[in-house]
Amino acid sequence: MTSKTAPQTLLTTLQGVIDNPRPVYDSGRRIGAVVCIIGGVLLTLTGSGVGFVFLGLWLGLLLWKPSHGILVIYSVISIYPVLRVISISLRPTSGLLSRSLDIIPPGASFNSFIQLFQEEQFLRWIWNSLTITLTVSVIGVVIASTGAYAFSRWRFPGRRPLLIFLLTTQMLPAGMLLIPIFVIVAQLNLTNSLVGLILAYTSTAVPFSVWILKGYYDTIPPDLEEAAMVDGCQRMEAFYRVILPLSTPALSIVFLFNFLAAWAEFIVAKVVLQANTVMTWPLGLNELIGTFNTDWGKYAAGSVLVTLPVLLLFMWQSKYLISGLTLGSVKG
Amino acid sequence: MELSGLSGEVILNTLRQIGPLIIFVIVGVVLLEFGLYLFFSRVVKTKHALPYTLLAPALIALILFMIYPLVFNVLLAFSDLKRSTFGCYSPISTGGCELDHLYGFDYAIKNFTDVFFRIRNGEIIGWGRLLRTADSTFPVLLLRSILWTTTNVIFHFSIGMGLALLMNQKIRFKGLYRALIVIPWAIPGVIVGLTWRQEFHAQYGFVNALITALGGQPVSWLDDPAAAFVAVTFVNIWLGVPFYMVMMLGGMQSIPADYYEAAEIDGANPRQKFLDITMPLLKPIIIPAVTLDVIWTFNKLDIIVLVTGGGPQESTNILVSALYNAAFGTAATSQFGFAAAFSIIIFLILFVFAIVWIVSSGGLKEIYER
Repeated sequence: MTSKTAPQTLLTTLQGVIDNPRPVYDSGRRIGAVVCIIGGVLLTLTGSGVGFVFLGLWLGLLLWKPSHGILVIYSVISIYPVLRVISISLRPTSGLLSRSLDIIPPGASFNSFIQLFQEEQFLRWIWNSLTITLTVSVIGVVIASTGAYAFSRWRFPGRRPLLIFLLTTQMLPAGMLLIPIFVIVAQLNLTNSLVGLILAYTSTAVPFSVWILKGYYDTIPPDLEEAAMVDGCQRMEAFYRVILPLSTPALSIVFLFNFLAAWAEFIVAKVVLQANTVMTWPLGLNELIGTFNTDWGKYAAGSVLVTLPVLLLFMWQSKYLISGLTLGSVKG
Repeated sequence: MELSGLSGEVILNTLRQIGPLIIFVIVGVVLLEFGLYLFFSRVVKTKHALPYTLLAPALIALILFMIYPLVFNVLLAFSDLKRSTFGCYSPISTGGCELDHLYGFDYAIKNFTDVFFRIRNGEIIGWGRLLRTADSTFPVLLLRSILWTTTNVIFHFSIGMGLALLMNQKIRFKGLYRALIVIPWAIPGVIVGLTWRQEFHAQYGFVNALITALGGQPVSWLDDPAAAFVAVTFVNIWLGVPFYMVMMLGGMQSIPADYYEAAEIDGANPRQKFLDITMPLLKPIIIPAVTLDVIWTFNKLDIIVLVTGGGPQESTNILVSALYNAAFGTAATSQFGFAAAFSIIIFLILFVFAIVWIVSSGGLKEIYER
């Protein structure tokens, strides 16, 4: 239907009307669509707002091509809150509390961004988050890479219970670890230190990394190492020279997922870093949003700065990332 | 020079904290591997020397950061740890402790019964209050957790499945739709929670602005218990749909087109094709996805804490957020012994559910049997 010219479409539609009733329903939909669109435009002309045009256009699309209609509305639902945050970050200080739904606010400015850097310790929050997150990711990959290899290649006593234990850790309620970790960190006097938080995050990063990496090693045929060993490599040499380079995608995915999980973590950080001397960015943004006042603009500016890199990375590499996630969790 | 709180001194200070830790871990891992390999192969002489050696760092990390805290959590349930007795349990004793023993069954019995019952003079006078309000009792929170989990999972599944079905046709702009619909998944959870909380604000949020623009009555989302629960559930549904869509779409794309062609020749209608081809072939994806989602949703704490904080009047708490609020949050009583007992009970509920579900559906079998 998509690549036909207008007269052809008309002809087939007419033919359809004669042949069977379904295309009648189809052309009825098109009439409905046109009526909706005209209605929307008329409403705008009489001063009822741009919103109605969109509503009219959408109803038209829904009637004309229901699949597209539904997908478009869901895409809008997905993306609208993001657009809103960007819009609020651009609002001038005087118009921060406006109730308008405009995406580009009148008098748009980068004021909130400047205020965020000048009045808040934004860069310091980012720096704290970055160091914590990088450390956790490095530790996670270093520790898990060899352990996952053992799980994947050998059948040793204790393998099954350990794997089941790893799976069970995914079921633990947050509080089950939060309470003991808080008490331990407090007893070691590590509250308000980056090290305390790193130790807390490592507890969840390691099982997850082992799990994903094991799934990936499983997909590499053992013949590869055997061939390398026939050529005179030691077993471990084969691992470092053959398997690890082949696993670069999985290693980077594990690194990235550990990074993203720790990067945006809020609850544990809030519990462990209780004084305001050391803050990660989630805690900082949470402080900003405490009350509804001018800080909303700064909050939005900070959110945009933090989210955009992640979002771009995700959209750019979404297929790769998603295949990485499913690799360990579903396909096993 | 200082820029937005970041100065050379701050950077140096952090590196001084982190640097030794990283070096310690890496050097430690290498030394440990060599030492253990020699130990296993020369002293114990097991044929599994290599796998055990390779496993050792991960195992040690698991024991230190997972098993030890879990055991400690059980121990806490047998203790009377709260803010006033914190010094007693600290390894560096500050003196002046009034407890005659640190751990004991009497504490455990009290901690566990406190989760369920309110006891006065040795008699049960009702359900125990887990938070401040009289409504925050165990059965209420359990029912709300079940309602929260089922609502979320049903909506996640049906919307995600519906979108995947739509996108599995020959349709234009597939890549664009996919990229847009996946966005909620890519946004950091804190920002999702905090942003939606602002957007549900009765006066300034866009939700009410949209409702009024379409001629409806504004709703005070965060002040009305029912509306707040709807709001927080909506946020979590919004957040969870992309996961299902991606999973289901991936699964559908791996079903060979021949099956559908054969069915068409036999005169199957779309509904039959869906029920008799798509659903059975997707089962190996659906069951683990639903299992994981049930567990994740039941344990979903951050969205509730960020969007409503469990309020108004503690009416949107589920079990896990009540646990968080009881230990650290809005109703912080700092009774860690009680909170530890509470967390064990929540875990047991989930564990029993998981066992029953996995056994009855063969759910996670594929995962651990490889």
